[in-house]
Amino acid sequence: MILYTPLAETDIFPNEAGENVNRECVSYNGKQVYVERNNDGTYQVLQLLSTDPQDFLDSTYAPGTILK
Amino acid sequence: MDKDMEKKAQPQEDQSSSSSSLVQKIQSLGQTNVPQAPDSNIHVLSIVGQIEGHIQLPPQNKTTKYEHLLPQLIAIEQNPKIEGLIILLNTVGGDVEAGLALSEMISSMSKPTVSIVLGGGHSIGVPIATSANYSFIVPTATMTIHPVRLTGLVIGVPQTFEYLDKMQDRVINFVVSHSNIKEEKFKDLMFAKGNLTRDIGTNVVGNDAVDYGLIDAVGGVKDAMEKINELIENTKGSQQEVIQ
Repeated sequence: MILYTPLAETDIFPNEAGENVNRECVSYNGKQVYVERNNDGTYQVLQLLSTDPQDFLDSTYAPGTILK
Repeated sequence: MDKDMEKKAQPQEDQSSSSSSLVQKIQSLGQTNVPQAPDSNIHVLSIVGQIEGHIQLPPQNKTTKYEHLLPQLIAIEQNPKIEGLIILLNTVGGDVEAGLALSEMISSMSKPTVSIVLGGGHSIGVPIATSANYSFIVPTATMTIHPVRLTGLVIGVPQTFEYLDKMQDRVINFVVSHSNIKEEKFKDLMFAKGNLTRDIGTNVVGNDAVDYGLIDAVGGVKDAMEKINELIENTKGSQQEVIQ
């Protein structure tokens, strides 16, 4: 793999072990959303992966929303 | 494992409840959405952070995963309701092959594409910016052009240099063939000394990128929307001529 970026390698791959993150990409109502699983088992929206600009006006997919 | 499966199934259950709420809306208001009204004929693809390719980057990196974007591009190409695509770029570069894959996908689309470089379109962001039919850069945005370097294990043999050189040529050839910049000029910028503090290369700012021919015009959202609508009209016009 070759990374073509002005960033230093240490910026991208830090030496310390990364924290345990529960992030995954799921399909919700037919939209791909990048979510983080909370400790209580709920999913919180991190990012909506869509090319339709209207989807971003829907508060269901706003970052921080907890999916039920 | 079973627990995980249950949790994953929950969002899908909600889908049925939201569709029943839609039915309720239709029943109470006597109408549903007018077809096409909520759908935008122009879709937006934002490419932000690192472009992630063959290797998953550590979680503190903000990444755009190319395996997410490639199917989206196909979906846009296939959907007859979508007439144009705007690409928003604010990237610090990333995987060469993932970036070139995205660039080739965008450049080979039949629908009009317009890119806007916002903030930064560095390194592998440069070919992606030029891959669109028409490219814009906002006056404050910058594009860093520098040589391709190896990350990770480097074997000090002449073949390594040749491999790197070929990889670099792929980037150069793509940019030169999809923009108005001359190959010599692009190489001059790439290997310039004294511009970057820790590296060779050039940091090209908004207007300069247009002067060099790398980007088509300086402009923001308004200009991009006008341009894409113009390109959409042109393609519609040419299609009608074919039919007649």
